Formats: sequence, structure tokens, C-alpha cells
Amino acid sequence: MIEISLEPWERMVAHAEATYPNECCGVMLGSVDETGKAVTVALPLDNASAGPQAARYEIRPADLLEADREARRRKLELIGIYHSHPDCDAYFSETDLKNSCPWYSFVVISVQAGRFDHANSWLPDADQTKAEKEELIWPKS
Amino acid sequence: MAKVLIPTPLRQYVEKKDSVEADGATVGEVLAALTGTHPGLRKQIYTEEGKLRSFVNVYLNDEDIRYLDKDKTAVGAADVLSIVPSIAGGTKAGA
Repeated sequence: MIEISLEPWERMVAHAEATYPNECCGVMLGSVDETGKAVTVALPLDNASAGPQAARYEIRPADLLEADREARRRKLELIGIYHSHPDCDAYFSETDLKNSCPWYSFVVISVQAGRFDHANSWLPDADQTKAEKEELIWPKS
Repeated sequence: MAKVLIPTPLRQYVEKKDSVEADGATVGEVLAALTGTHPGLRKQIYTEEGKLRSFVNVYLNDEDIRYLDKDKTAVGAADVLSIVPSIAGGTKAGA
């Protein structure tokens, strides 16, 4: 289970809507215990994909390294990655799977016609062959 | 001896530590020492054939070792190694 607090959630949604019709990406920081993962900070990152970004995103490893350092400075943990799917459902696509890493939760935000529509969280396996849906809780009000 | 920073999801394989010291004069030797004493970590970052998994990058301080001398990159006592995954995706293949 992954639960996202109001402030990071609003930042993620605002980032996804502002980036529309392109895909956005970023990381989620927080804490992990036996009850699940709690996201308290979202850090938007650049989409480094060299081509058109309406259907592709890429995170520079150097940016991810810096995000991990920021998590350590804040005494938080880097627990997930988020990205948006403009005018698409929040499924975990074949491209998402082939470029994933099994260590993190992957939250996909569906943006339809420029507005947030729905979101899902996914846990890809080590062989990049399948992703399991993870319970995702966000502030709906 | 060098310090290796461990990403959160991999700390379960190194007694929940956020960094570990390991011996070695090169990146390859440090990682071999580290994963030799922590076999659970080895499965996470290496394939069964002993190659780094496709999504695993190793940084020496601020430099990707692919742009240095790869696993033969020399490591000093003050150096910090980081394990950093490659992450990308998108709604359309090849788009």
C-alpha cells in the first residue's frame, strides 16, 4: 500500500497538468514501515527524453542520484517514481515495463484533456516482464 | 575501502544500513566484496550471468563509471559509490 499526502499529491497533479500534453516525471519521498509506504514529499524532475515527450519520459540517472541525496538530507527515503499519461489511462505500458526498475513504486497519473482523471500505482518485477497493481491512496477531496 | 550508498529498497539486504563500507582498489573489487558478503544484494544488481542488470548504473561520486574506466575505475578511501537505476517509460513503444 502507498499513501500520498495532500501536499505532494497536489504538486504531482499540478505538475502533470502543467506538462500536458507531454509526459511529466518525478520522485516521491517519504517513509516505509510494516503498514506500507507514506509519501510526504514529491520532487518534480525534468523529462530528459530526447524525442517528442507526449508519449515518452526519461529520468537522468544524475537527477535520480541528486534526488536520493535530497532524501538523505531530509532524513526521508526515496520510495517511488511518478509520471503522467496524457490522454491515456493509468496503466503500466510495455514501454514503462521495459524501462522500469523493481525497487520502486511507480505511480502513473492519467491526464485527460489537460485535467487529472485517475491514477494507479504499479510494482514491476525484476525481469521487467510484468507489473502488479499496488493499492494507492490519495486525498480525493 | 570505499563507502557505498544503498538505495532504500535494497537496505533489507544489508542489515537495513543506508551505506556500507567495502574493500577494493577498483569499483569492480568494491562491488564484488560488497555483494560477496551480501548475496541478497547481488541478485538485485547482477544477472545470473554476473553482469550488472540493464537498469543499474554505478556512480563514483558524481561520475557514471561507464564514462570513467568502468569496473576498473580506481577507488580511494574518500570515494563514495552510488547505485542508481535507469528509469524511463511512456505510453507508446518507440514514440
